Amino acid sequence: MSLASSKEGKDVGTRIGQGLGLARRLLLSENFVLYISILYFLGLWIFIPRIASAGNLGNISSNMWPLLTLAIGQMFVLIVGGIDLSQASIMGITSVVGGLVMTSRLDPTLFSKNILWGVIISENGGMLGGSPAAVPVGITAMLIVGVLIGMLNGIAVAKLRMPAFMVTLVSMMFFSGLAIYLTRSENIINLPRIYTAIGQEAFWRVPYSFFVAVALAAAAHIVLSRTLVGRWFYAVGQNVRASVISGVPAARVTIYAYIFSGFCAAVGSVLYSARLEAGRPTLGQNLLLDIIGAVVIGGISLYGGKGKVLWAVFGVLFFTLLSNSLNMLDLSFYTVDIVKGSIILLAALIDVVRTRLLAKGGAA
Amino acid sequence: MGDTILQFENISKSFFGIHALRDVTFSLERGQLLGLIGENGAGKTTLMNILGGVIQADEGTMRMKGVEYRPRNPAEAAKAGVAFIHQELNLFTNLSIADNIFIDRFPRIGALPLINKKAMRSRTRELLSGVELEVSPDTLVERISPGERQLVEIAKALGFGAEIMIFDEPTTSLTARETEQLFKIIEQLRAGGKSIIYISHNLGNVLHLADEIVVVRDGAVAGTGDKSEYTIDKMVSQMVGRDIDQMYPARTAGPSDTVALEVKDLSQSGIVKGISFSLRKGEVAGLFGLMGSGRSELARIIFGLDPFERGSVKVGGAERKRYTPAESIEKKIAFVTENRREEGLLMEAPIFDNIALVAMPDYTRGLMMRFVEKKRIFGAVGDVAESMRIKTASLDRQLAKNLSGGNQQKTVIGKWLLSKPAVFIMDEPTRGIDVGAKYEIYNIINDLAAAGTGILFISSELEELMGGCDRILVMSNGQIQGCFEKGDFDQAKILHAAFKGHKKHGVA
Amino acid sequence: MLAVCLRNTPVILFAAVFVVFGILAPRFFQYQNFENIVKQASYAGIIAVGMTFVLLTAGIDLSVGSNMYLSAVAAGLLIKNYNVPVWVALAVCLLVGLAFGMFNAFAITKLRIIPFVVTLSTLFAGRGLGLMLTKSRPVPFPETIIRIGSSRLFGVVPLPIVIFVCVVICAHVFLRRTQMGRQIYAVGNDIEAAKKAGINTDRVRATAYIVCGLLASLGGFVSVAQLGIVNAGFGEGYEFEAITAAVLGGTSLFGGIGNVFPGTVLGTVLIQMISAGLVFTQVDLYIQPLVEGAIIFFAVLLDSFRNVQLVRISRRHIRVEETA
Repeated sequence: MSLASSKEGKDVGTRIGQGLGLARRLLLSENFVLYISILYFLGLWIFIPRIASAGNLGNISSNMWPLLTLAIGQMFVLIVGGIDLSQASIMGITSVVGGLVMTSRLDPTLFSKNILWGVIISENGGMLGGSPAAVPVGITAMLIVGVLIGMLNGIAVAKLRMPAFMVTLVSMMFFSGLAIYLTRSENIINLPRIYTAIGQEAFWRVPYSFFVAVALAAAAHIVLSRTLVGRWFYAVGQNVRASVISGVPAARVTIYAYIFSGFCAAVGSVLYSARLEAGRPTLGQNLLLDIIGAVVIGGISLYGGKGKVLWAVFGVLFFTLLSNSLNMLDLSFYTVDIVKGSIILLAALIDVVRTRLLAKGGAA
Repeated sequence: MGDTILQFENISKSFFGIHALRDVTFSLERGQLLGLIGENGAGKTTLMNILGGVIQADEGTMRMKGVEYRPRNPAEAAKAGVAFIHQELNLFTNLSIADNIFIDRFPRIGALPLINKKAMRSRTRELLSGVELEVSPDTLVERISPGERQLVEIAKALGFGAEIMIFDEPTTSLTARETEQLFKIIEQLRAGGKSIIYISHNLGNVLHLADEIVVVRDGAVAGTGDKSEYTIDKMVSQMVGRDIDQMYPARTAGPSDTVALEVKDLSQSGIVKGISFSLRKGEVAGLFGLMGSGRSELARIIFGLDPFERGSVKVGGAERKRYTPAESIEKKIAFVTENRREEGLLMEAPIFDNIALVAMPDYTRGLMMRFVEKKRIFGAVGDVAESMRIKTASLDRQLAKNLSGGNQQKTVIGKWLLSKPAVFIMDEPTRGIDVGAKYEIYNIINDLAAAGTGILFISSELEELMGGCDRILVMSNGQIQGCFEKGDFDQAKILHAAFKGHKKHGVA
Repeated sequence: MLAVCLRNTPVILFAAVFVVFGILAPRFFQYQNFENIVKQASYAGIIAVGMTFVLLTAGIDLSVGSNMYLSAVAAGLLIKNYNVPVWVALAVCLLVGLAFGMFNAFAITKLRIIPFVVTLSTLFAGRGLGLMLTKSRPVPFPETIIRIGSSRLFGVVPLPIVIFVCVVICAHVFLRRTQMGRQIYAVGNDIEAAKKAGINTDRVRATAYIVCGLLASLGGFVSVAQLGIVNAGFGEGYEFEAITAAVLGGTSLFGGIGNVFPGTVLGTVLIQMISAGLVFTQVDLYIQPLVEGAIIFFAVLLDSFRNVQLVRISRRHIRVEETA
């Protein structure tokens, strides 16, 4: 079943699709979004040469990799037929946890009313403020928190049989509330240099976040296409009952998907908060819709059972390119939103058209 | 014999260049019941969809009472007096019977857009009494049984002046009693001058009810005639296009003495009680019973899908500890459920994914992460598909949802074959499958038995059990009421056992 | 007995929360408090009622927050820049909401894009449009409108509540007593069967989204009438609140199940009651969202539990004779 079309399409698709020739072949290709991205980039280059400048490419890149890590995690959850609305709040809370461990100095005026003041945090910073172990422990703590929240989500969905939408919605409310509570809405700054380097610096011009994202993407791809549990993700997303009868440990598989999503959100949080040099309780607040938008554009089905890492990559690529170009065009941020919304709609419409064409012509 | 109410003249229809119907010509008389039979994919459904306005014919004409009839959509067909009672009932479980019947034509209060509930209720009561269904019009459809739902559909069709009624596989989900009632209503409909087209794989029922029989094969009419001219054998041979001297292939080997599965005193209150039997290697044991007797529930309990309170299940002599599907599979039990679409197949996935699903863990290597050995499993799946004669262009592109019923069922069986089971439980494996494919499945069962697998064959078709089993267990009301050995198969006795303790209204 | 309990979970839950807060803070039981709660709940309830329509068709509308904002902004700007009378502003507000809903309906039924994606896009685009019109600045509303927000019918019942009650009555009658209303339930239950039964499913779904859009703008207006000002963040996140209210009131996310009264009404008031209760029991401001989240989690858990049990109870049951 296609991503965006409801179960039957009508003549809009056929009419548009007829007589497009080469464009048609391009349209039907699996790498469609990639081609569009390339075309778009080339088109923009003609009008705004600046877009290919090192500075701007760096900009695109620094936005793309963290978003990709999140999108990959979301993809796993979508494949098993669920959704994870809490990714953004996981970013927030892990960002705060990391900050509380790693920060080297906290302003008493801002933090003295905090519940943890005097307990783990003080004027001299967080739990391991100033210590060389701060960063590794901090990052580990962040990842663990992400995994734990993912596990809670997964258990609620798989064992308690609660709808994913509501569970992750509540998670989102709860953990972002918790993050704000722990910091009383303040950002945690003064993070160690080593940490912020992760988000900002590069290795031979290639940013560290690139390596992280690519490693994650590669791992995800291998899991989905080559391993047993990868096959099981798809099976559970397509038909849970048949999977259970066929011996698939459906509950466990579902929980893994949510754990991975939480893990990815934590990784994304590391990349983002390192770049922003602060532990923010509201980190990622606006990202949820970007994540879903990128995934939709990439062609991953919101119904479950379908999805490839490459699609997520293309979707994120296009989405980031789009955001970046809109900013370059000096458009106000609200216009950017309007365009984003229209693009998502357009992408969905194109998907509808593609599905109709594939269904008709596909009988080859 | 009255006048001709419906005529099909040279109806043809193609999909993507493939002929689904070719020059179909026959007619229906008023007050007559016409049995329309044919294998799956023969074109019966396409023909009825044309009659019902769901699709349009490419060539040919339909005439109703002599006048050309060409409905462009179901609504037009309904207005013309054609009612299509589908196999999957089109009722809304969250609404009441009255709401369902009037869903697109609610009576109003004067000029207001408000529903006149009183008028609706009384009219519904009238219609329900017409089909002898004594249930309140406000009852939610989810609370009534499949048989009662079917009566509601009939009531709805009658209420709106249907003159021609099409029944597509009406008895698949009905209990014996409900089937009786349905036949009674059908008689009344005929007496009232309604004309009926009855489609079913249950040839015995068709022969019993029909005045006239039309056999469709490969999109064309393979034979027609008065009921008196037909026997089941003749129907089958016209459907299949060759003489089937034997419906059931001969067994090549008998059961051994080793016990493969032993069930002792299995009980779950309200479901099954004191079930005990043994299944030997190489044995095909039939489990017969009416709908609602607890057979499928028993199978699910043995496989570990549902819990039980007392008793035990031993496989290969070893007592089981955890009763879960995964553990059953470990112990080499296979389970083909009665509804392949919901519980047997990944409809949106290709055949390969489906066949590989159960046994995949056996084709992996690696410690922490289990990597799938693609080449090996592809070879194995290919072998299974070939041995089962699943006809397809591409194993890893052809989606399960596009397969015929027979091929779908073979895919499900193939999935379990790959795991090399010792015990194979099959629940209604030939349901909704045409005669040709059925024969192939009987062959598969025989081959499995010859190879030493113990098979529990659950079915509501006594004939097929009698044709292929070593033993038939009879269940009724959650208990085993009788056991018959091959030499003692007696239809009357078996049915008697099946009816034993059978309450007046079958299920609760 | 268990079945009865399970089927009436929203009511029981409501009563439980009510009693608990009452015990923890007796002042909770004061009439003034209730009036405030219901008054607060009014605008949220109107939006939740609209959302119920959409959920019943097994759809979803993520754009109601942006719809609220855009409609309120349109009305506010008209008043500010052109000094139009109040009723004109209200009409414009509703028209914008209607148009918003119609656009969603069009994209879903004619372009055949799934509701989640359509309303996600209009969520983005709608808010963007509103921000563009206001340049992200707040839009104040004049005295006349604020007076509406605080006026009382017959001097007794606050106007917001009156409007809420009217909406509930109309919606309830519509869903229970009109053909379109019943068809909404049918489409949510089984859209394929609905088509076969001759129902114009496009028209049914379009109706749901249009109603939702209209009620979103009305709810926005009622809220603004009490706040007096429309900020850039007005309505943000309200789609989730509306969905939660409907779900707590027994509406299923899968369609076909749910009702406006008592369901969604209880759900909305419940949420407001929890917020108010937390304030009354003097829970730390920062902890409130946590407690709210926990309560909602518990409520949804109960609901899921109920579904599983109901399925189990109504499963095929074969009575086994106790003799022999």
